[in-house]
Amino acid sequence: MDSTPAAGVLGGRQRPAEPRREIWFTRRIRPREALKELWAARELVHTIAERDLRARYKQAVLGLAWAVVTPFVLMVAFTLFFRPAAHVETNGVPYPLFAYLGLLPWTFFSTSVSKGGLSLTDNVALLNKIYCPREVFPLAALIVAGFDTVVSLIGLAVVFVATGFMPKATSVWVPLLLVVQLAFTAGVTLAVSSILVYVRDLKHALTILLQVGLFATPVAYGIDRISRSTRLLYSTLNPLAPVIEGYRRAVLYGKPPEWTMLLAGVGTSTVVLLGGYYLFKKLEAGIADVA
Amino acid sequence: MLPEGTIAASEIWKRFKTDRSQGQIRDRIDRARSRVKGQGGGWRWALREVDVVAEPGDSIGLVGANGSGKSTLLKILTRVMYPTAGRVEVSGRVGALIEVKAGIHPELTGRENIFLYGSLLGLKRQDVITRFDDIVGFAELDQAIDRPLKFYSSGMAMRLGFGVAAFLNPDVLLVDEVLSVGDAVFQQRCLDRMRYVLSQGTTLIFVSHDLAAVEATCARGLWLHNGDVMGLGSVGDVLRSYRSSIEAGAEILPLASGPVRLASATATSADGGVVRSYEDLVVDLAVESDVTEKVRFYVGISEGTAAPILVVSRLIDLSDAHCRVQCTVEHLPLPRGRYSVWVAAFSLKDSDDDELMPWHPTCHFDAFGPDADPAPVAVVRPSPVQVRSRWDVVGAGSPADPNANGVPAGIEAGVEAGPLTAPT
Repeated sequence: MDSTPAAGVLGGRQRPAEPRREIWFTRRIRPREALKELWAARELVHTIAERDLRARYKQAVLGLAWAVVTPFVLMVAFTLFFRPAAHVETNGVPYPLFAYLGLLPWTFFSTSVSKGGLSLTDNVALLNKIYCPREVFPLAALIVAGFDTVVSLIGLAVVFVATGFMPKATSVWVPLLLVVQLAFTAGVTLAVSSILVYVRDLKHALTILLQVGLFATPVAYGIDRISRSTRLLYSTLNPLAPVIEGYRRAVLYGKPPEWTMLLAGVGTSTVVLLGGYYLFKKLEAGIADVA
Repeated sequence: MLPEGTIAASEIWKRFKTDRSQGQIRDRIDRARSRVKGQGGGWRWALREVDVVAEPGDSIGLVGANGSGKSTLLKILTRVMYPTAGRVEVSGRVGALIEVKAGIHPELTGRENIFLYGSLLGLKRQDVITRFDDIVGFAELDQAIDRPLKFYSSGMAMRLGFGVAAFLNPDVLLVDEVLSVGDAVFQQRCLDRMRYVLSQGTTLIFVSHDLAAVEATCARGLWLHNGDVMGLGSVGDVLRSYRSSIEAGAEILPLASGPVRLASATATSADGGVVRSYEDLVVDLAVESDVTEKVRFYVGISEGTAAPILVVSRLIDLSDAHCRVQCTVEHLPLPRGRYSVWVAAFSLKDSDDDELMPWHPTCHFDAFGPDADPAPVAVVRPSPVQVRSRWDVVGAGSPADPNANGVPAGIEAGVEAGPLTAPT
């Protein structure tokens, strides 16, 4: 049975099998317009971050305390088990403080990547319904992770007081290190979130990769455990290494960051941020097709 | 820059992979392997060369069978989806009610959802606050507004979704087949609200299988079939050709199986000629039966859909294997148009398989007569019934309109002012 209905109002004219070449859609990325649009959506980023925070802390009994508990428990575990096993030398700085300061940027990174990486797949219902610059979702995840980090600073203060140690004046370098940390984290989060939409089961791999990352980054140990000759390569591959090392030098040892290593980290972070954003914008167009 | 509320979409094409297996690594590898072997995944065009042009205040009803590309087109207009080819320009804020599970975040309360949706539409917090009470009132949520959305019934979630989309002053409002969830009263209120935002200059695109609602709301129609535009024009013209295509598609099959079958079915006037409004319609059925018992016969008349305009039924004694059943509908109360005749037969025995002949279309007929009188704007008339009416006006200074000879009772100027009395 032929189910094609009788010719309609427009019937009769032969339609081409494919659209004309010149009207095919090509994904053009205009950075300036994309950033302008993102700026216009800043309130949306804020609202989504607020929504995620509310939704999260509404369910959890301990609420905000989780933000402190997570790095705190890891710090205790490192102090009790990792340090004696690996003989970490901290040059006079209390090890809990040493570990906690490394855990802060690491927890921020891993929370951002794991939560932000899933932010597009988690919000598929929304993405299919309404248009907005898609990067608001991973960026909101970054803000939520940042919020957690700020809360966990309470833990840092507690450890400072408990150990009777004082931060050094060179802590003024912290904002610079923070920029590098943010750039790298944002780049990785953007890239991961857009790739995960297309390859869903990569999220299982993500969990393992982040666990490996915790030990591949000088969180529980210092960068001096890496041989001097490979340190530059190490810093290039893992910009979190010079950042964490920089935090420790500035806050605990009263020294400025090691510039060569940090510069390598800055280079990688810039590439990762630009590349991640580019990839995100490229893949963004097809999200609704596969989601 | 186009004025806000303008839609200019030209030559929209959209295709999907025929193999839409989800993005697991294994699927990717399979796909890559078949591509290497030269059997690259096929594509299916979901939309072909579709144009949508609307100015502020325009209303377009989008109709078509399931899978004809209606929702894809809406997604492209909201910019959620990118077209494979073609140009889309939509200016202004787009409020879309695309999925019935309208809620945005199940863990958040209705109140928080309203604010979230507001900022997704690009509204300032203050703008949302000023309209908040209207939304809650419209959605009839009262106390429930502070309850998490996951505890809402589907009707409540839909009411909230519609309220939010329709009250946050979008420049373009896209409504996709959502009214089916609400009760009849709420449906009417949604339609009223849609008419209102239209009058405020909002552009409306309304997708529905409820053709009567489309007809009552939209000025223009767009009919898609398998991604092709089959009709574009005034809503009356488009729906007429769409309905007749549905009827042509509902092919008349004398059912060959089942305990009770039809060998033939015709619908004519009493003298076998054309069917006319207000005259008798004779449905003539040649019945073959394996059962010899009393059965209940149903005859219904529909226009374009399976939901009948009217149904008549009788107990009929099928004592012979072959018999003729003639059903006469007196004074056929239908306006000009094309209709389908549906027939079914059910056993009186109380058993699971009491269906001797399923409800199915058997033949068409064209009725000749007046067009249906228009309903007031935004009032949905599910199916057209045209009865003769007599209107007497007393004291309005104009002579009573006898309106005797089957002429439809048009509401003339001056006549509607007077009080109506019972016909004498």
